[in-house]
Amino acid sequence: MADAIALPQARPAQPALQFLGVVPGVLLLAAVGYAGKLLERNVGTYAKAHHWTFPNIEYVLWAILIGLAISNTVGVPQIFRSGVATYEFWLKAGIVLLGSRFLLGDVLKLGGVSLALVAIEIAVAIAFMTFLGRAFGLRPKLTSLLAVGSAVCGVSAIIATQGAIEADDEDSSFAIAAILALGALSLFTFPLIGHALHLSDHAYGLWAGLAVDNTAEATAAGALYSDAAGKLAVLAKTTRNAMIGFVVLAYAIYWASRGQAKTVGNKVAFLWQKFPKFVLGFLLISVLATYHFFTKEQTTALANLSRWAFLLTFAGVGLRTNFREMRKQGLRPFAVGAIGEVVIAVFTLALVAGAGKLFGF
Amino acid sequence: MSTNAVSLNSRKTWLLSLDSWAVVAALLAALLIRAGVFTRVPW
Repeated sequence: MADAIALPQARPAQPALQFLGVVPGVLLLAAVGYAGKLLERNVGTYAKAHHWTFPNIEYVLWAILIGLAISNTVGVPQIFRSGVATYEFWLKAGIVLLGSRFLLGDVLKLGGVSLALVAIEIAVAIAFMTFLGRAFGLRPKLTSLLAVGSAVCGVSAIIATQGAIEADDEDSSFAIAAILALGALSLFTFPLIGHALHLSDHAYGLWAGLAVDNTAEATAAGALYSDAAGKLAVLAKTTRNAMIGFVVLAYAIYWASRGQAKTVGNKVAFLWQKFPKFVLGFLLISVLATYHFFTKEQTTALANLSRWAFLLTFAGVGLRTNFREMRKQGLRPFAVGAIGEVVIAVFTLALVAGAGKLFGF
Repeated sequence: MSTNAVSLNSRKTWLLSLDSWAVVAALLAALLIRAGVFTRVPW
């Protein structure tokens, strides 16, 4: 890892050079995403023309599969890596633009239901993951990172918490690897379970948004089911993301009280710093759409732009998932994460079923 | 996770957070569509 030692001593690159540095990776995201879109269109047509029985595979899954194939065979060359890492930027821009498809009333109604379910999910997930971490003898801060990652929003929550509780890089890597591996598995298992249980788009979307940890994977798991489920998954996941500041603050105060992290000074500033700003962008676009700032054609254009942004995200999800790298991180954090995720998935499914009966979806 | 390390290092040198840049870019795109600079986005 000579590069890792040499890099911090080098002067940071100029913004223009940094911008140019992401171009190859962004082009790779676009190429993989577009290939997924072409395969969706052409494979089905080809199979039909040749009278083959072939399942209709959506562009979302094709883009992820192509990305996974590249990442786990030839690997992603260094020149593409910083550009591939921008998939999170496209994800958040896509979510903001998706706000145009939600009227404010829907956001408040669905967001209100989501908020109640999210609060229950977070409390149960943190309590259960903490219990599991202790039972498996994981280091306490690694347990905290896994609990935050599975309760709130995956990698972003782990990174935010790592800084706040002064956890080791190693603990953070373990937790991120476990959450990413489980997120990759959820892409394949959630739609299958949803179809097997004949869940409605509404129920499935809510479930995916509540149970899948990483925002990119939750968006993809929703979109793999249906367009409507994808929208709901994003809304539920965005509600969950909005809670990140409060959960990280609680952990920061807890570890500071034990003398193992810095005391939090200005709590409001801390909350604002950790608050995901794309949630505000999503709400702003939703308000503008509600008050007819955009025409119908413009709303369609915004929704399509959001789909293009998600296309790049889904390609990035596949490209950044390397199973060999994840295996190196060890089995115990993965086992804790896996058991926790299964229990959280079952619990949130029951929660959604209960809410469905109560609110009629 | 090398890609995560890259994204973390990159975030520190870009004036705003990644979140904020995503919001700025999305709002700019929405304004351009509203102003009629882009009338149609095909899918």
